[in-house]
This record gives sequence, C-alpha cells and structure tokens, in this order.
Amino acid sequence: MKFFRLVWRNALRNKRRSLLTVTSLALSLFLLTTLLTVVTELERPPDSQEAMLRLVVRNAVSLGTPLPVAYQQQIEQVPGVALTTRMQWFGGVYVDEANFFAQFGCEPVKLARMYPEYKIDPAQLDAFVRDRTGALAGRVLAERFGWRVGDRITIQGRIFPVDLQLTIRGIYDAPDASAVFFDQQYLDEGLKALDRDGEIGTFFVKARAPEDVPRIMDAVDARFRNSLAQTKTETEQAFQLSFVSMLGNIKTLIISISSVIVFTILLVVANTVGMSIRERTTEIAVLKTMGFRRRLVLGLLVSESVCLGLLAWLVGSVGARLLYGGIDFAKLNFPFIRQLEVTPQSLAVGFGVAMLIAVASTFVPAYRAARMTIAAALRNI
Amino acid sequence: MAIPLKYNLRNLLVRRTSTLFTAGSIALTVAVFITLTALATGLRTAFISTGGERNLIVLRQNSDTETNSSVTPAEFQNIKYLDGVARDGAGMPRASAETIVLINLPRLDNPQGSNVIIRGLAPAGFALRPQVQVAAGRWFRPGSREVVVSEKVARRFVSTGLGDRLRFGKSEWAVVGAFDAGGTAFDSEIWCDVNQLMNDYNRTSYSSVLAETTGAQALAALADRIKDDRRLKLDAFSETAYYAKQTSSATPVQALGIFIAVLMAIGAAFAAMNAMYTAVANRTREIGTLRVLGFSRASIWLSFAIESTVLSLLGGILGCLVTLPINGISTGTTNFSTFSEIAFQFRVTGELLTTGLVFSALIGFFGGSLPALKAAREQIVTALKTRG
Repeated sequence: MKFFRLVWRNALRNKRRSLLTVTSLALSLFLLTTLLTVVTELERPPDSQEAMLRLVVRNAVSLGTPLPVAYQQQIEQVPGVALTTRMQWFGGVYVDEANFFAQFGCEPVKLARMYPEYKIDPAQLDAFVRDRTGALAGRVLAERFGWRVGDRITIQGRIFPVDLQLTIRGIYDAPDASAVFFDQQYLDEGLKALDRDGEIGTFFVKARAPEDVPRIMDAVDARFRNSLAQTKTETEQAFQLSFVSMLGNIKTLIISISSVIVFTILLVVANTVGMSIRERTTEIAVLKTMGFRRRLVLGLLVSESVCLGLLAWLVGSVGARLLYGGIDFAKLNFPFIRQLEVTPQSLAVGFGVAMLIAVASTFVPAYRAARMTIAAALRNI
Repeated sequence: MAIPLKYNLRNLLVRRTSTLFTAGSIALTVAVFITLTALATGLRTAFISTGGERNLIVLRQNSDTETNSSVTPAEFQNIKYLDGVARDGAGMPRASAETIVLINLPRLDNPQGSNVIIRGLAPAGFALRPQVQVAAGRWFRPGSREVVVSEKVARRFVSTGLGDRLRFGKSEWAVVGAFDAGGTAFDSEIWCDVNQLMNDYNRTSYSSVLAETTGAQALAALADRIKDDRRLKLDAFSETAYYAKQTSSATPVQALGIFIAVLMAIGAAFAAMNAMYTAVANRTREIGTLRVLGFSRASIWLSFAIESTVLSLLGGILGCLVTLPINGISTGTTNFSTFSEIAFQFRVTGELLTTGLVFSALIGFFGGSLPALKAAREQIVTALKTRG
C-alpha cells in the first residue's frame, strides 16, 4: 500500500489521456451494464410468492384462438385449484394508437383474490364490482392520462368489433400498475348481439400451493386433450416470457453485441496503456536501477490500469445503477421494460470485465518493460 | 500549401500497432451499427416490398389488421362487382376473399414457438400476388387438405417441410409445396384452401378481401366508396399502405442500434483522440520542422485532421468488410401488430455501407480535430527544442 501514491500519480500523470481512457471505458461499461440489465429484466422471475401460484390456460393453437367459457367449471374441479378467473385481452385503442396499454376483461369479484399483491381501496373495489361498465385502472396509467375516479373513457375495439364505454371506479397500485381491468361480461354482452359470445382468451388459475402447480398443468391439459379445443397451461411467468421469446433470439443478439463491446474496450485500453508504458521506458529503468524488482515494477504498472478500470467501473456501471434507479420507466412506456434494476450480478460482471481488461491490456507491455535490461532501457531515449 | 497525404499514410504505417488497435475499435463500432441497422432495414423492406401497387385490401372497420378483421361472404359479393375492380380474361373480377388463422408452431430453436399466419385463399389470390412463386412441389389443390409453406418458414419451424404433415384445425394437413415470396411478408405464411380452413375453425366470415383495381385513381375512388358506405362498415387501404404501416416493428431494433452505436462511437472517438494526441506529442519536432519549411498552421491542422480521418476510415472499411457476410441471412421476429411471425433477411445495402463509412470518418474527424489544433498551435522555437 505504501506505493499507492506512486501508482495514483502515475495513473494521473497525463491527465488528458487518463480522462479520455476512463471516459471511453466508462461509456462501454455503461453500455454493457445496460444490455445485461435488459436481458435480466426480460427474464425476471416473479418477485412475489403469489405470482408463483398463478397459471394461465390458453388455446393450444395460439393466443388468437379462444376457448369455450364452459371449460372454466371443469378446470375448477382439478385438484389443487384454488381459484379461476376468465381473462380476456381486449387490445383496444384509447384515443390514439400510440397510447398502447393492456386492457383485460376479468371477473371483478375474483380480481383481488387472484392478485393479492395489488393494493386497492376496498370502497373502490366494491364500486368496481357493482358497476358492470366500471373499470379499474393502474396508478401509472391514471397518472399518464390524468384519470380520476368517476371519469368516463372509451376504448375502441380492434380485435372485437365493440367499443367499451367505461367508468373508472378505482385505481390500483402494484409493482406494474399499467393495465385497465373491466368486467368481461360487459364485453360478452356486446358480442352476444354479433353472435360471438361464450368464448374467452384465457383462464387464470391459482394453485393452492406451489407443489400443486406442475400437477395442475398436466391435469388441465390432459382433460382437454381429446376435445375440439386443446389447452396449453403454463405458469404466469412462462406465459409472459413467451412474448419475449416471440421477439426472436434477443438474448443471443444482446450477448454477441456485449462481447463485441468488451473486445472493443480491450483494444482501446490496450492501445493507451501500450503508448503510456512505451513512453516511460527510461523511467522504468531508473526504478530498476534503484533496486525495484521486476515483479514489483510489473505490479505497479498493472495497478495503475486497475485504478483507471476501477474509476471507469464506478462511473459506468455504478453510475448506470444510480441513473436507472432514478428513472421511472413505467411512465416511459417502453415495450417489455417496466424498470431497469441493475442487479449486483450485473455490477459484478461489469467489475470483472473492467478488471480483466485492465490486467489483460497491461500485462504484455508491462511484462516487456519490466524484463528489459537496465542498460537497454536507459539507452532507449 | 497542403502537406502531402503520403506523409500521413507513412506515419500511420510507422506506428502500426497503435493504428491497428485504434482502427480495430472503430471497425467494431461500425460493424455493430451496420449489423443492427441491417436488421431493421431488412424488417422494414419485408413490409414495404409486400404490397401490390394496384391492390386494395378491405378489412372490418377499426380492425387495423387482417388477423382482427372479418368480412362476410355477402360483403365480398358486393365488393367484387364494384366499379374499379379489374377483370380477368374471362371477365371475372380479380378479387380474393381470404381467411387468416394464427397457429402456434414450435420453432427449431425454441419449442415455445411463435405464431404463424395460415392464409386460406382461392387460386384467384395467387394471381394477385405475382411475386409469390412455387419453389418446390406444387400449389395445393382447391378443396383439399393440403398446404404450401414458405421456404423461410420451413427453415425455421418444426414439421413444415415438403412431405410433412402439419396438425391444426380439425385434423392433419399435407405439406405439398414450398413457395418463395421474394422477401415479402408472405414469406412468413402458410397457405391453404380457404373453404377447408373456414370449415375447420367454424368461421362463417372471411378475414379480408384483396382486389386488384384498374389503376391508382380507381383504387383511391374505390377505397373512398367502401369506407363511406355506411351499410358495409368496412375499411379499405392500398395494400402498399397497409403493409407500410406495420414497419413500426422495426423501430425498437433501430432505436437500440442507434443508442449502442452512438455510445460506442463516442468511446471510439476518444480512442482516436488518444492515439492522435500521442502522435502529435511524438512528432512535435517534426511539426516545428514543417513550420520552418513554410507550411502554415492551417495546413498542419488539416494534415492531422486528415490523418485521423484516414485512420478511422481504415477502421470503417474493415467494419464494412466484416459485416458483408451477414447480408441475406434470414431470421424472424414477431410482428406485434398481428402477433405473428415475420421472416426477413439482414440487408446490408450500398447505402448502409456508405453511411457506415461516413460514420467512421466523422468519428475520426471529431477525434482528430482537437489534437490537430494542438499541433497547429505549436510555437516553432519550442517545438524544435523538444526531444524526440
């Protein structure tokens, strides 16, 4: 540690160069951390115990093909099932297509039991249950559109040839409060006139205990195997992940980009470090004349890069964590990304990359410099 | 007077390690930019190239996409005989009523699979899409349980090859052919007989109607007429406009590409700056000498700026070369307007390569202009006194 001052001053001797290197490295680490975080977010497991108990039943053909409503009774009889609710993706448009958000037709009475993690004022929930044309809006949406309880909104049907005239009866809070729930029966009435009622997109099922989950999945699908409409039952998480996987091989794309970035910074840093060590050949010879061992010289040079790497990591990776922590992504309405939480793992990967690059880029030039005989090095003016 | 370019080139050659490393980092930056843009361009091209100029597509009002839409047989009869619909040699209207069903098929790389469009149509529909050609096997026979699969779908999805049997609807379908839709959105579809498909899914309505019109004016007039008819409750667009609207799927990839490219470019510009500052520092005496020889400050500045730009262009060329092989690689993603698979190819166009080169030159120019300024400002006397 007694050499820390020497290392530090050497690291900063060419301030402009160090600044440029650190900034360049920090930018790349920032990018890398961002990409890693996006991958982590896309695959984030459910954070509540409750979410692990939920299953989704849909038509095996595809999400666009509905199931008969009558399946609900049979699903409820499967051992281990605590609760089921019909859930219909409406996919409508509020005022303008750019205002995309999720709208679900559900069974209002069961909503609170299906999503105990949602915070809803009991009086508001009660009002929602009583009003067939009522709606429950997520806090994020209510703030985005300035909705208040009692407001009337119209959602134009796209998938269904029906427009919904809804009254906001309540506003709920949740980690991802960006959906509108309404009474599925209200939609069904509209469809009755068109002879398209009696069908539903999905059933949400809640298991009594986590160990019931796999059994329910098999039992439900087995029950409808020989029916006209076969079902596909999966956990809520798998259901959500299936949308991400539809995007294509995002993970491979991001990981390949990340490796290119790592390689790019390696080139950048190796170049600067190489330049700075070559310039100091004489100085290194002086250190050795004074009795510094080869190993110590090597260690000093590597530590210098490690210092710069550490600085870049603090700015790039830790900076990313602070920056993203301060942004409310729910409001930005990005597809798939509700928040960007830089996990300790991503920080650790960033740290690892920074250190690896610091050591890898310095080792060859430093080793060469440290090995040079004093006479040869001193001659090198 | 300008300093000869040869001076800069030889300097780059002398410090070849540094040149290689700096150019390498710029090459990678350009390569990432080109790759992601090629992805977005390919996706956009798949949609833009799809529509036939004289084709009109008719959908249910507000349904936006074929997958959501429905058109009754009575409405189809009505549309077919409207003025402006082209007729074939036998005097029959060139119009096709089609049904779309989405089915989830397991992908070769992902058993979870994606949704693929099954398009039920009559042979009249082939005539409206001359870009779709049978590449292997044959078209399905009308009235039979046969399907023809796009070659691109066959390469990405399980049991969609010639001779395979595909299970959807009420029972199995035989794959009797593969078609090539020339890189259009139809390359993401499976085609079969419309009546069989409707029967399998208990549909009484079609999804959409595609009609060829007699010309651009007829198309606009016919579209207005259908939209304004209050009894029909239908929307009509030119097929080109319909597909162009779906290009929004490419926006996220493009945005990601720009975000990454800009950050990497700033990093690379700093790397170039570092290399150039070192170059200037090492050549201070040379700069003094050049000034003594009568070269002006401006020509010194220009010389170093050019050197940095050339250095980066080297990287840019390298980056372009590295990305050339990805041109034409086909892949797929989901079109979130229809929730269905869209197959497309990476497209590295000449325009994109030019953009990449300009991008790299800009990195070099900005990275080099400050160090060049330092070089230009050197005082002759002090510069000449410098060691090295």
